[in-house]
Amino acid sequence: MASRLIRRKTLDSLGLFFVAFVMVSPVILFFLWMISLSLKYEIDNGAYPPILIPENFAWSNYLKVFEENNFLLYFWNSILVTGTATLLALVIGVPAGYGIARLKAEKSAVIIMIARMTPGLSFLIPLFLVFQWLSLIGTLWPQIIIHLVVTVPIVVWIMIGYFETTPIELEEAASIDGATPWQVFRLVALPIAKPGIVVSFILALIFSWNNFVFGIVLANRETRTLPVAVYNMLSFEQVSWGPLAAAALIVTLPVLLLTMFAQRQIVAGLTAGAVKGG
Amino acid sequence: MATVNIQNIQKNYGAVKVIHGIDIDISDGEFVALVGPSGCGKSTLLRMIAGLEEVSGGEIRIGPREVSHIPARDRDIAMVFQNYALYPHMTVEENMGFALKLKKADVAEIKSKVGRAAAILGLEKLLDRYPKQLSGGQRQRVAMGRAIVRDPAVFLFDEPLSNLDAKLRVQMRGEIKTMHQRIGTTTIYVTHDQVEAMTMADKIVVLHDGHIEQIGAPLDLYDRPANIFVAGFIGSPAMNFIDGRIEEGAFRTSKGLILPLPQTLPSIPGGRDLVYGIRPEHIRASTQGIEGRAILVEGTGSELFVRLDAKGEDIACLFRERLDIGFGDTVFAEIDPTKAHLFDKQTGRRI
Amino acid sequence: MASVSIDNPMTDAEQIGSKPPRLVPNYWPFVLPALLVVSAVIVFPWLFTLWMSLNSWTLGQPRTFIGFANYVRLVQDMRFWESLWHTTTYTALSVVLPLFFGTLAALVFDAKFPFRGFLRGVFVMPMMATPVAVALVWTMMFHPQLGVLNYLLSLVGIGPQEWIYNQSAVIPSLVIVETWQWTPLVMLIVLGGLAAVPREPYESAEIDGANAWQKFRYLTMPMIAPFLMIAVIIRSIDAIKSFDIIYAMTQGGPGTASETINIYLYNTAFAYYDIGYGSAMAVVFFLIIIALSFVLLMVRQRANWSDMEDR
Repeated sequence: MASRLIRRKTLDSLGLFFVAFVMVSPVILFFLWMISLSLKYEIDNGAYPPILIPENFAWSNYLKVFEENNFLLYFWNSILVTGTATLLALVIGVPAGYGIARLKAEKSAVIIMIARMTPGLSFLIPLFLVFQWLSLIGTLWPQIIIHLVVTVPIVVWIMIGYFETTPIELEEAASIDGATPWQVFRLVALPIAKPGIVVSFILALIFSWNNFVFGIVLANRETRTLPVAVYNMLSFEQVSWGPLAAAALIVTLPVLLLTMFAQRQIVAGLTAGAVKGG
Repeated sequence: MATVNIQNIQKNYGAVKVIHGIDIDISDGEFVALVGPSGCGKSTLLRMIAGLEEVSGGEIRIGPREVSHIPARDRDIAMVFQNYALYPHMTVEENMGFALKLKKADVAEIKSKVGRAAAILGLEKLLDRYPKQLSGGQRQRVAMGRAIVRDPAVFLFDEPLSNLDAKLRVQMRGEIKTMHQRIGTTTIYVTHDQVEAMTMADKIVVLHDGHIEQIGAPLDLYDRPANIFVAGFIGSPAMNFIDGRIEEGAFRTSKGLILPLPQTLPSIPGGRDLVYGIRPEHIRASTQGIEGRAILVEGTGSELFVRLDAKGEDIACLFRERLDIGFGDTVFAEIDPTKAHLFDKQTGRRI
Repeated sequence: MASVSIDNPMTDAEQIGSKPPRLVPNYWPFVLPALLVVSAVIVFPWLFTLWMSLNSWTLGQPRTFIGFANYVRLVQDMRFWESLWHTTTYTALSVVLPLFFGTLAALVFDAKFPFRGFLRGVFVMPMMATPVAVALVWTMMFHPQLGVLNYLLSLVGIGPQEWIYNQSAVIPSLVIVETWQWTPLVMLIVLGGLAAVPREPYESAEIDGANAWQKFRYLTMPMIAPFLMIAVIIRSIDAIKSFDIIYAMTQGGPGTASETINIYLYNTAFAYYDIGYGSAMAVVFFLIIIALSFVLLMVRQRANWSDMEDR
C-alpha cells in the first residue's frame, strides 16, 4: 500500500516535470535558435530545411559585430547610462522609500503608479525639448536623466514595500539608544533593508538596460546604447543574419546571466512589486 | 537613577481620548508595574515616557527635568521591547554596545561595560552570536543587557515576557527582579499579567480605559482593592462577585442565598444594591456554611478548584487540601467573613 | 513640509499658542531628493505635454496657441481611429493569451517536481531579455522564405505563412512575441497568489469528496481571483503601451496595419516633429490608459468585496 503510494507520487512528479518541460520548451527553443543563428555562416542561415547545428561554427560573427559597428563604444555607453541611472536611483530612491513608508504616505506612491501607466513617449517629448534647450543632446546625460523615469519608480516602489515590513521597534530601540533620525536610517534601517536594495538594484538595472524607446529618440551615433545599436543594425538590410543574431545575443546576455544568478531575488521582487502594484 | 513624576498626562488620537489625565509619582529606585487589560493605555503611557509618542497634555519629569518634549535619544532611558527589538545585523556584543558607540565612547570602555553586563546576565559565551542564533530566553537577556549597559536613569519594560513560554517566563521574572535588586535603577514595567506585577513590583498602577483605578503596593491591592475592577483584576483565580443587599443583618441575594458579613462594617442603609466579593482561596471546604452542587472540578495536585452552584449563584472555590469531590456532589463551603469585601453596585467602590 | 526643530525642549509658557515640537522624527528630508527628481522628470513632463497639446508647433517653426484645435483634429483623424482599433485588438489578445498560459504555468510550478527551480528560472527568462534583441530574432524566425517557423509548420502539414509581412496576420504575429515574452510575469503573479492559498480547505474538500476539477473551480479559482485581476491590470497597462517589439519588428507596418497609438504617437512627434499634435495624442492616450486602469481597479475592488463577504 505504502509503496504503491510512493510509486504514484514519483509518477505524478515525473508527469509534472514533463508538463513543465513542454511549457518551457518555447523558451529553450528560442534561445537555442538564437545561439544557432549567431554561430552560422550565411549559407547555413539561408539553408532550407534550416540547420540547427552547423558543421562550421562562425565565431567570426561575433568578431564582426565589434569590428564593424563600434559595439564596444555602445557597450560602454550602455554601462554608463544604466549604471549611473541605477546608482542615482538607489541614492535618492532608497531614502525616499524609507520616508514614504515611515510617513505612512503610501498614497503618495500613487504618483509612481501613474508614472508607470504613462507612456514613455509622453515623457520624451518635453524632456527632449529641454535637453535640446540645455544643449545636452550629444552627451549621455539626456539618456541618464530620462532613465531615471524607469529606475526611480522601481526602487522607490520596492523599497516602500520593504521598509513597511521591517519592524518599527528596531528603529524605536535605536532612537532610545541615542540615535538621531539619520543614524537610525543609516545604522539600523539601511543594513536591514539590504536584501530589498539588492532586489531593486537588479530590477532597475535590467529594465534600464533593456530600454529602447528613450535611446532611439535621444541617442546619436556616438551616444547609442546597445538596444538602439542593435536596432540600427537591423535597419541596414545588407547585414547578414549571423552577425545580427550575435549582436542580439551580446545585448541581452548580461541581463540573462543576471537573471540566472539572481533568480531568487528577481522573482521575489517582481512578485512583491507586482502584487503591490495592483 | 532618578525619580519619575507624571502629572496630568493626557493622550488623544484625534477626537479619541485614550489617556485621561494621569498622575503617578515614582521614587528613585522603585519598581513600578503598570497593569491593566489590553487597550487600557498602559503601553501608550510607557511610550510617552520613552518619548516614542507625543503627549497631548500634562508633563513628564525624569529627575528634575521636564522631558515631555525631548526626543527619546536625549531622555537617558533604556527600554526592553516585547519582541526584544534586537538589531538582527549586529552581534550580541554590538547590540549591547550600540548605545555607547553612538555616544562615541571609546572601544575599551564599551568592551568593559558590555563585558560587565554580559557577566551579570550570563551572556559571556554568546557575545559573538547574532540574534537569530539565540533562543527566546537568551534574546530576552540580550535585550536586558542592552538596557543595563546604558546605565540609564530609568528602565522601561514593555511586556517583555509575553513572547516566552510559561516556564521561561517564571524564570525570567525572577531574573529581572534580581537584576533590579542588584542595580537598583528606577524601573517601569508594563504587563497585562497581574501575576508578574504582583511578584515583581514595589508598586502597582492599575489602569483601565485610560484612568488609574488604584495605585498601591501589591498586597495592598490584594487586601484592599479600591473597587470591583481592581478586585477582579488582581488575584487568580478571580474574586467571586455576588449581587445582593443587606437585610436583617445579613447579605442576601435575590434568590435567597445568605452570605456572612465581615464584623467591621460601617453602617449601610438597607436596600442599597451591593456586590459581595470573596476570593476563591478564602473559602474552605467544611461541613457547614453554604451548600452547593459542584459543577466543575479541576485538581492540579496541590490545589483543588471547584465551582459551586449555590442557589443559582456561581461560586468559585480554591481548596488547598485534597478532597474527594466529583461532578454533581454536594459541597459545603465556609466563607472567611474577615476576608469578604462589599462594593457599591452603582459606583463599584469598596465599602 | 514644515520642519520643526526637535532638539529644543520648551517650557509650558512657550508652548502656549505655538505648535508643540515633534518627537516623531521628521521623515521629509528623506523624501525630498526623490520628490525633486520626480517633479523634474515625471511631473514637469506631464504639465508640459498638457501645455504643448494646446499649441501648434512643428519643430523648427514658430509656435502658436491654438486651444483645443489639436484635439478636434485628433477626433477627425482616421489614422488615429485605426490605430486605436489596432491598439485594442493588440491589447486584448496580449492580455488574454498570457493570462491563460501564465495561469496554467503557475498551477504547474506550484506543485513539486524535480528541477522545478531551474525550469522556473528558464521560464522567467523571456521577460528579462532585451525586447529589441528578442524582436530581432523573432523577425528572422518569421521570415516567409528562410524562417524556422514556416519550416516547423511544414512539418505538421501547414503551408507557409506571411506572419508580420501580411496586413491581417501582423497583429496576431506580434501578439505571439508579446505572449512569449510576458507570460512569465502572469505566471509569477499567480504563483505568488497560489503561495498564499492555505492548505486546510483542500484537505477538508478532499474529505468532503471533491474531485480535482471541483477543487480548482470552487477553491483555487476564487482564492487566486484577486491575483488574476492584478495580472490583468498590469498586463493591460503594459500591452497598451507596447512599443519596443512593434517598432523593432514592423514600425507599424506593413502599411499602417500594426500601427498602435503609441507607434503613431512616436511617428507624429519624432518622425514628423509635429510636437503640438503629438502632445495632444499623448494626453488622450494617457487618459485612455487611466480610464482603463480605473475600470479594471473598480472591477477588482468589487471582486475583493464579494470575497470579503464570503469569508
